[in-house]
Amino acid sequence: MTDPLAAWRGNPFFVLGVSTQASRAEVERAGQKLLGLLALGSASARHYDTPFGPATRDADSVRQALATLRDPNERVVHELLANIAPGAAGKHTDHPGAAWKGAEHALGWSGRWAE
Amino acid sequence: MKPRPLYVGIDLGTSNSTAAVFDGEELTVVRNGQGSVLTPSVVRIDGRGNVLVGARARRFLETDPANTRGEFKRLMGTTHTLEFPASGAIRRPEELAADVLKSLRQDVADQLGVAPQRAVVSVPALFELHQTAATSDAARCAGFERVELIQEPVASAIAAGWTRESGNGPWLVYDLGGGTFDVSLLETQEGLLRVVGHDGDNFLGGRDFDRALVDVVIAKLAADGVVIDRADPRHAVALRRLRLAAEEAKIELTRAAEAPIFLAGLDLLGQSVDVDVIVTRSEYESLIAPIVDRSLDICARLLAANGLGKDALERVVLVGGPTVTPFLRERIRAVLGLGFGEGLDPMTLVAQGAALFAGTVALDGRPSGPATRQVGDAAGPKVWLQFPAMTSDLSPFVVGKPLDRSGSVKKVKIDRADGEWHSDPTPCEADGTFAIMVRLLPRQNTSFNVSGELADGRTVALDPPQFSITHGTTLGEPPLSRSVGVALADNRVQIYFNRGSPLPIRRTFVLRTVETVNPDSAGHALKVPIVQGEFTLAHLCRLVGTLEIPASALTAALPAGADVEVMLELDRGGQLRARARIASIDQVFDQVALLVTPQVPLAAMDDALAKLRVRAADLSRSAFHGRSGKAAARLSAALPRLEDAQRNIAAARGGDLDAGEQARRELSDFDALLAEVEADQAWPELGQEIEESFAIAVSWVAGHGSEAEKSTLNNAYRACKSAFVGKDADEVQRQLGVIRRLGSAAYLRHPGAWDREFEYCAARVAESTDIRRATELVANGQEAIRKQDSAKLEQIVRALWQLNPVDRDDQKLGHGSGLRSR
Repeated sequence: MTDPLAAWRGNPFFVLGVSTQASRAEVERAGQKLLGLLALGSASARHYDTPFGPATRDADSVRQALATLRDPNERVVHELLANIAPGAAGKHTDHPGAAWKGAEHALGWSGRWAE
Repeated sequence: MKPRPLYVGIDLGTSNSTAAVFDGEELTVVRNGQGSVLTPSVVRIDGRGNVLVGARARRFLETDPANTRGEFKRLMGTTHTLEFPASGAIRRPEELAADVLKSLRQDVADQLGVAPQRAVVSVPALFELHQTAATSDAARCAGFERVELIQEPVASAIAAGWTRESGNGPWLVYDLGGGTFDVSLLETQEGLLRVVGHDGDNFLGGRDFDRALVDVVIAKLAADGVVIDRADPRHAVALRRLRLAAEEAKIELTRAAEAPIFLAGLDLLGQSVDVDVIVTRSEYESLIAPIVDRSLDICARLLAANGLGKDALERVVLVGGPTVTPFLRERIRAVLGLGFGEGLDPMTLVAQGAALFAGTVALDGRPSGPATRQVGDAAGPKVWLQFPAMTSDLSPFVVGKPLDRSGSVKKVKIDRADGEWHSDPTPCEADGTFAIMVRLLPRQNTSFNVSGELADGRTVALDPPQFSITHGTTLGEPPLSRSVGVALADNRVQIYFNRGSPLPIRRTFVLRTVETVNPDSAGHALKVPIVQGEFTLAHLCRLVGTLEIPASALTAALPAGADVEVMLELDRGGQLRARARIASIDQVFDQVALLVTPQVPLAAMDDALAKLRVRAADLSRSAFHGRSGKAAARLSAALPRLEDAQRNIAAARGGDLDAGEQARRELSDFDALLAEVEADQAWPELGQEIEESFAIAVSWVAGHGSEAEKSTLNNAYRACKSAFVGKDADEVQRQLGVIRRLGSAAYLRHPGAWDREFEYCAARVAESTDIRRATELVANGQEAIRKQDSAKLEQIVRALWQLNPVDRDDQKLGHGSGLRSR
């Protein structure tokens, strides 16, 4: 098998860079923004950080992540997986808009946009 | 000022078609040359080759039915062709659909001054791939350079959501068209629409009302000694006149208590007959009650499948002409206990939703020629903006990138045109991009101005200087309505795309050839059948295309067990692309040989019908003996469908192509139902199988397995048992797979296991798919045993496994697939 951590890094919450507590609308918004940036060829949008190290995303993986989180049953599973990820637990409490420390920065979010 | 965008949506219907346009603010249904919003999906080609479309063609349906064709939508994607004897023209169904689309495109051009280049066209939710692909083809044929498809119920839901603020909760779109019935369960949350599930019947519609009515008239005439035989092609013209008269009577019966069906001088084999029959409303209602109930059963099935009771629904939206029938509305209200969305036009809702969807995906229909700029309009630096034209999010992101290389634009600022909201000046990132969250006004179109701050601090307008976003109910992405996969030689399916996956989508799996394919075996081909459906057995799924690798195209022999990398790709236009890469000989094949449904010969359908009858009878008998009341009830409830199929086969003999398609579908649905009942009947045996598999696995794992494997085995057994109790067949099979894999992994650690496996394979060389190679491998294996080279022996046994024979019957059922899973 290939990298055993790849599946963890591919968690839709990590791909979209949102907290497991994000609302439906927040998830959609994050996806919409990423798809826009990727369409513009933004290099920074291609990379994201996870508790398991950096990873890359493309329009396909973003759309797939959105589709996964739209299904409430699948979302629950990935919430669990994202929350038991070592290093991820507890950290999302310091900012409601981010899955772990550094996520906002990695995504180009800044305080004034996040409510 | 930039012209407003032009989002075009088209509802290509079985009986009528409609176009609607949305400019980001206003939603308008387009009127045709006759001033009507409905264009009949009818095409006429006269003796001089002139093509007439719509209402003008429809007038000839009665007087000149041979050269006037309607209801070709359901034939799209099949090999049927339609003939126009007067001109000798022969047309495929998609060419006729293209004529209708061309006419609608012209109507849009007449009304708005621009012939749209791009549009969204709606398709029934249960349309299969070959049908959706044919729809895209038709649109391209009509002059649209790009087309996206949306499922009709989803379109209706978007349109219904657009006109009214809706709460959070599930709702149902009941769409009964002329020829198809779709029911969709949707849920809106924070303005975002999600398709929870859908169901339906590709062959249930208003036409069945007409047909029932025609049957009654035929029966009444028969009582008077006038015989009209559906199976007789010479009666086809008379039948068509009768059907048109029945359609008018049907419309009259929605208001009046009775309607006459009067036809003077009906020509029956040279004999002129006057038809004068009265049908009363109550008579009509008892005729259509079974059809309406069939649709309501499908609604109940959909709700049950999603764990919802009938009272959980928040609203029901009715779509399609037949839903104006008062009796149908009463029945729905009685069963589902709900009122309907008021003020929604069931006839044009789909087109409106399609136009709104074009806005969500920013599919502007205006030709994208050189931008026309007014003289004196000083254009600022160009900026590339990305934003949703329509969204359910009140604070969406606008992302963009200045296009001038000099990098003179340092910051970007967006201001709402009403002056009530302004963004901060936002700096461009290192890669030139910026992202700004804007504030929309709820449920309307909001305009924004874009300006840039240059390095020297000056503020300039950017190009484009303005854009607008509409807030409303939207759909994330159109989901795939039926799973797609590749049929395997053991009659199983390798699923590629699950139902509900977002489109476009692409996936690749590595499969293995079953047999050796030699370049010199002319006429031979490796088949990769692509199927669509929710069944685990390939023959129950619908074949939608085949990727054929002709032996003659191979540069070298392809041995049995060779890896073939098969990629499937599906876009939003319903276009399927397949590619097979064979790494060992470095060749790529991407010719999908067939994306149409072959015409099934009528004799073959007779044959299939007879076989199904026998199977159904056997099953009911065993259900009766086994005291399985539920199975028996299901079977007897379904039996009338066989009668329908028989009637349709007869009608197909009489020249009714559509009835032939319907019969084919009824037979395959019945086949699937029998398979389900059979699996139900075999349920106790499955329980036995679980125990046996577990007993074998446990005996090996106990001696040769790790602690982790032992506990996994126990867990799998428990999961398997509880799935068995819960009657979840798929889960039982999945867990059985785990149990067997654990068992065989432990068994193969036994010191004598590979020797024993080798002996087993060696004894069956004659049955293998490549005898020459198997013989060679066996010789090598004997050598390895002599040298006690167990690693080598294992390798040889694994190679021999790949040459295991396939069951020819399974392979035939699996659409002749030449592949198996790894």
